[in-house]
Amino acid sequence: MIKNYIKTAFRGLQKNKGFTAINILGLALGLATCLLIILYVVDELSYDHYNTKASRIYRVNEDLKLGDNSVKYAVCMPPLAKTLKTEYPYVENAVRLKNAGSWHVKKGNSNILENKLVYADPSLFDVFTLPMIEGSPSSALVEPNSIVITETTAKKYFNSLNVVGKTLVLNDNTPVKVTGVIRDIPRQSHFNFDFFLSMSTWADSRSNEWLRSDYNTYVLLKDPSDAKKLAASFPELLRKFSGAQMQADMNMSIEAFEKSGSFFRMNLIPLTDIHLKSSLSGELGPNGTTQYIYIFSAIAIFILLIACVNFMNLSTARSSNRAREVGVRKVLGSDRKHLIAQFLTESILVTFVATILAFIAALFLLPLFNQLSGKELAINSQSLVWIIPSLLFISLFVGAIAGAYPAFYLSAFQPVDVLKGKLAAGFKGGRLRSFLVIFQFSISIFLIIGTLVIYNQLNYIQTKNLGYNRNQVLIVQNVFELNKQAKVFKQEVKEIPGVMNATMTGFLPTSNWKSTAIYYKDATLDQKKSLFPQSWEVDEDYVKTLDMRMVAGRSFSKDMPTDSAGIILNESAAKFLGFNDVNKILYRGLGGKNTLDNVKQYHVVGIVKDFNFNSLRESIGPVVMTLAENTGALSIKVDTKNLPALLSQIKDRWKELSPNVQINYSFMDQEFDASYRTEQRTGQIFIVFTSLAIVIACLGLFGLAAYAAEQRTKEIGIRKVLGASVSAIAGMLSKDFIKLVFISILIATPAAWYLMNKWLQDFAYRINIQWWVLVLAGVAALFIAVITVSFQAIKAAIANPVDSLKNE
Amino acid sequence: MAGMMQEAPMIKITNLEKFYRTEEVETIALNKLSIEIATGEFVAIMGPSGCGKSTLLNILGMLDDPDAGSYVFNDIEVAHFTERKRADLRKHNIGFVFQSFNLIDELTVFENVELPLIYTGVASAERVKRVEEVLDKMQIMHRRNHYPQQLSGGQQQRVAIARAVVNKPKLILADEPTGNLDSSNGNDVMELLTDLNEQGTTIIMVTHSEHDARYSHRIIRLLDGQSVMENIMV
Repeated sequence: MIKNYIKTAFRGLQKNKGFTAINILGLALGLATCLLIILYVVDELSYDHYNTKASRIYRVNEDLKLGDNSVKYAVCMPPLAKTLKTEYPYVENAVRLKNAGSWHVKKGNSNILENKLVYADPSLFDVFTLPMIEGSPSSALVEPNSIVITETTAKKYFNSLNVVGKTLVLNDNTPVKVTGVIRDIPRQSHFNFDFFLSMSTWADSRSNEWLRSDYNTYVLLKDPSDAKKLAASFPELLRKFSGAQMQADMNMSIEAFEKSGSFFRMNLIPLTDIHLKSSLSGELGPNGTTQYIYIFSAIAIFILLIACVNFMNLSTARSSNRAREVGVRKVLGSDRKHLIAQFLTESILVTFVATILAFIAALFLLPLFNQLSGKELAINSQSLVWIIPSLLFISLFVGAIAGAYPAFYLSAFQPVDVLKGKLAAGFKGGRLRSFLVIFQFSISIFLIIGTLVIYNQLNYIQTKNLGYNRNQVLIVQNVFELNKQAKVFKQEVKEIPGVMNATMTGFLPTSNWKSTAIYYKDATLDQKKSLFPQSWEVDEDYVKTLDMRMVAGRSFSKDMPTDSAGIILNESAAKFLGFNDVNKILYRGLGGKNTLDNVKQYHVVGIVKDFNFNSLRESIGPVVMTLAENTGALSIKVDTKNLPALLSQIKDRWKELSPNVQINYSFMDQEFDASYRTEQRTGQIFIVFTSLAIVIACLGLFGLAAYAAEQRTKEIGIRKVLGASVSAIAGMLSKDFIKLVFISILIATPAAWYLMNKWLQDFAYRINIQWWVLVLAGVAALFIAVITVSFQAIKAAIANPVDSLKNE
Repeated sequence: MAGMMQEAPMIKITNLEKFYRTEEVETIALNKLSIEIATGEFVAIMGPSGCGKSTLLNILGMLDDPDAGSYVFNDIEVAHFTERKRADLRKHNIGFVFQSFNLIDELTVFENVELPLIYTGVASAERVKRVEEVLDKMQIMHRRNHYPQQLSGGQQQRVAIARAVVNKPKLILADEPTGNLDSSNGNDVMELLTDLNEQGTTIIMVTHSEHDARYSHRIIRLLDGQSVMENIMV
């Protein structure tokens, strides 16, 4: 019996090549997209799951509120890890990581800049699953100046894995001993380092300070259910340790501190939540967001639904052609059950073929998708283990869903009616079919509006006046490599013709180099009158080089010796403090005991116009700038007329001063673009998916219009015989579909407007959705629908009426 | 023939009624019609368009049910059978031959003829044997792997007849079986039906053609849903 079903199904599909092609192509496209998105989502959801103890690992986060300033940290106090392990028996282990920034690593005679270095406690290998190929996990990170490197790094520097005991030279002057080689860290890890320096190398790690936070701290619990207990004990812990230090250093009790509205708080985040749910100050790398997971999953389901709808629509539309077959089969003794089975077999067969095609398409599209999404997704033996069963399931499920309606609809035909030709004339199931077309087009229009809004917002970000000029700025990184020569380098660079200005500091609006400090309005260092801003060290050329604008006062100047105690505020900081002109004083504690003679006094010399230094998702926070030497980078404003020559001159100057260390440079506008890559990628992915959704929806509409025209052949013939023109007939046939698109516009537009506005709320700086975006989306959908339908309508309208009438 | 009449008739309909209703008009298709047909008979039903011929044939074939009256088929009252029960009785007892052949385009000659055997659950080897047997008898064995569109009208109707008889039904219902054929092919079809009848199959045929009707034993003439005359052929 099943053989007969498959045979009939196969031949039927073969006979209606156009119909079959539309159906399979649409479904395959939908499934391929779905598969790619599933790969993406699974990848995002699998972060840090490579750790066998993942369910028991938590990171300690810290919330700090000082007066009206608040910050959320992914880092904690230096002694916390050790204390947690000793104070709480249910904490099995704890480990600290501290980002070590960029270092030069010596290979032969040259130094290579590496930026994946981290300090780690010896317990690293007990908490995280980082299999060691060479060396002893328990002792590798114990001694100072020990380093554990990854497989790839070992091969890069030594061309061998057997390197335990060998030496690496950091920054041309610090030898460290390789004590272990681990497997490369899986890409789905919220941190990704190549070099693990022993924490004991870093003197500060032994600090007992409880009032500052700079160590990423992870705990391994004996039982995950103890997380609540641990979190509940944090307030007491903080009172005990931070409170004691506050009393000693600042002569203030933690109760008084909290009474003033300020607080220290700590909380736990499960390791596996970090990648998607955490975006705090001091993360070990950029994380993802759940928002895009939801958006992409929704798109995948939508596209699949559109493809299913096509299938249902085309199958039922074709029903009149199948009706006779149903009738004959019923007369010959088939009951409904058999017919339902037959039609379901047919639709599952189609989905199955589409699934195979989709799989092949996904294989070919994967590199492209990876490029688009910035991922390294792969279909390999590992992923096939879940891909194949899920594909089989999807094809069965989609086949059953898409085939169910046609199956039940077609099998209900009465043989007497169909054999008499009663059904042949009717384009039945019209209402449901209309509903489904509206559904498809609503989704398409929604996606068009979404894409336009995202595109506009990205465009807005890229062209917005940020308060500084990022064009023609060359950034030479890590000028500290030059040690005392850094100043000489700046001076020499400034003299090169074509260099308009240069400023030396690592604190740039586009860099991740950030630092905060507390400033007070009065000398008693009263918390209530404090400011907790970004505190940047800059030089006299900063404002001018970056083309910032002073709204009051002046920039730092070499001619003013008192500027060493001067300070520049941005507008936000000035507003926060209630300063609207210069000649104001700020105080800053110098660490240790907060006493009057341990305080530095600053006078405000200028207020600079607000400039964006974070993502445009966030509003501009307070920034203060002080005059100090910071050799993080040298930003050079250049004339780009002859950039290659200029660049080679700058490189030459560097080489003269530091022959062993390579120069490392980038352009500020590129760095800026890089910080919006996620958004740009999302935008691009959105555009691709939207186009796909529209193509699939149009495939369906195209097929449907063809059937509508076919069903009405006789009517068209009669109308033509009676004198109707081609355009009148094409119009008549198109009208029905166009009406549906109009209804879709009415449904989709408000929904898209509402949801996209919600998306925009995430940006502190955002566009308003313009009316023309909505109109454009509607017109585009209408235009596409008209083109699709009128092709069929015109074809039907210009056919010879004699042929169509003879058919009956 | 006379001897057979003493047995209970294969078909006995009494006061059969069928109406078709639209919103405004009620049309009477069958008006208290009573007919008996004996096993082994060859009956032609004639009458002008709209007289109820096809309605009668559909009810006799259990494709449709009457609004009132009784229909006894082989001593079983079937007038109010459910669709499922009718389908079951139908597939074991009745074969259909249509004016427009109604072969399934996607199936070959062989597969079309095989279909009723599949639905009655005949085993595969037995199916092949019986299909080949009947195709041989209809002299279309050489066309067994062709699709319906590749055959002439006469050949298609022969396939349809083969399909109707492959299950060895007791009754064949033919709805203008020669209506789409030229006279030569039409005569061939009538000869085939006559042969089947002589081998014991009861045949009821609706026709417009006096020529075809002459092949039967008895002609029932309908007008406005009532039997107006019966001719016994000699």
